[in-house]
Amino acid sequence: MQTKKPKAPLAGLIYGEIVYWGVLVGSLIVIIGSVLAFMGDNFVPVSYWMTSVWKGETVAQAWQGATGALPNGHWYLSCLTTGDGLTAFGISLGVFSVAPALFLAGFALFKEKEWLYGSLAVFGGIIVMIGVLGLAPMPK
Amino acid sequence: MLIVGGYIVMGVFSEVQSTQTLSATSIWLIIVGSFLISTAIATLAVIGGIGGGVIFTPIMLGFTSLDSLVIRATGLVVAMFSGLISTGPFMKSKLADIKLVFYCGVPITFGALVGSVSAIYLHESLGEIGDGAVRLSLGILMLVVAWFLFTGGGKTEYPEPERIDSLSVKLGLNGSYWEESLGKVVHYQLTRSFAGAIIFIALGFIGGFFGLGGGAFLTATLNLVMMAPVKIAAACSGVLLAISNATAIWTYITYGALIAVFAAPWMLGQVVGGILGAHLLIRIQAGFVRKILIGILVISSIKLIVRGIEEAFGINIPIL
Repeated sequence: MQTKKPKAPLAGLIYGEIVYWGVLVGSLIVIIGSVLAFMGDNFVPVSYWMTSVWKGETVAQAWQGATGALPNGHWYLSCLTTGDGLTAFGISLGVFSVAPALFLAGFALFKEKEWLYGSLAVFGGIIVMIGVLGLAPMPK
Repeated sequence: MLIVGGYIVMGVFSEVQSTQTLSATSIWLIIVGSFLISTAIATLAVIGGIGGGVIFTPIMLGFTSLDSLVIRATGLVVAMFSGLISTGPFMKSKLADIKLVFYCGVPITFGALVGSVSAIYLHESLGEIGDGAVRLSLGILMLVVAWFLFTGGGKTEYPEPERIDSLSVKLGLNGSYWEESLGKVVHYQLTRSFAGAIIFIALGFIGGFFGLGGGAFLTATLNLVMMAPVKIAAACSGVLLAISNATAIWTYITYGALIAVFAAPWMLGQVVGGILGAHLLIRIQAGFVRKILIGILVISSIKLIVRGIEEAFGINIPIL
């Protein structure tokens, strides 16, 4: 009976650490953003968002009332000093951590001559980046 | 208790009148309630190897009047963050098999991206009837998976495939992990890798389209189709869920469907619950994980079927 714990592969550790810390940093930014949001410094007032969402307004209606049009892009990047902008950025950062994690884990696999799985990791990262960059066709 | 708690909090705030503005107290109550429920959902979701979105999305769709795109976008956040935060501990403990994750990661991200874009397009064109029909079939499928898990007994904890296909051998889809509850190393060999990849495209699409995550399906596919031990299946499904949802969510973010101040407490609850769940999963017995999984699958299935019938046939079913 084997009683020694198997060692985790380097690519797995790299992937896990990047995502873990990316999410933790993102979460910290979300907390700071939420505090700022409830202090009243916002791109769109919190009371407007919460009321609008719980009224059941559609996404288009909510944004129409807030800014006049759907954002269609990374709206928060232009208002990072506001509470809701920073909160959205924190969530996005946490989600985004998957992309560099996949690429770097892929490169670690390449170094170990695991060409197939390295390629799969990089290809997965490319698909994630298609989503991040909004390259998928969207309704106008 | 979790479901009931969710119903109460969401039910209280589901009827905001058109002229009414929520008070500061109500907003705080919603935020604190959302955080606590989200923490509980994440803990259960990681242990059960399913996405928290499978619990969150049906409750919100069934008991609130929120726009379905907002629910789906937030559902993806709920589904993914417990998986994201538990990725680190799972990788360190080797419960998440890196080869299996990257092999299944490509088809599931592709499906998720197509699913999320389709959700935006079909939100207006198909309407409630189409949504109901798909939700109904999804609910039935989940019941089938729950039944397979229920009748599988001990065999699904450490499955031993009778036949290993040549593709799985060529891909080297095998591994080993330390089973804490047995105090020894467990070796495993996966099979049916081609069928698994095809199923993962469909699962990615479902997750991205509904904002459900669909972790229960991932665990079931890895465990019942590809014959991964249930703990490996649960851990890998959490990691895969995070990858696929991290792809799908961008479609909702860039469209404007993710309302940050609404989603934030749900996200933070997932982070806290995800860490808690990951540590519990390493120590807990595999059979217990499966029981939780079956229970959550059945509850989610009933909810989906009820909503599906209501939407597809215009019938009001006064349960749940």
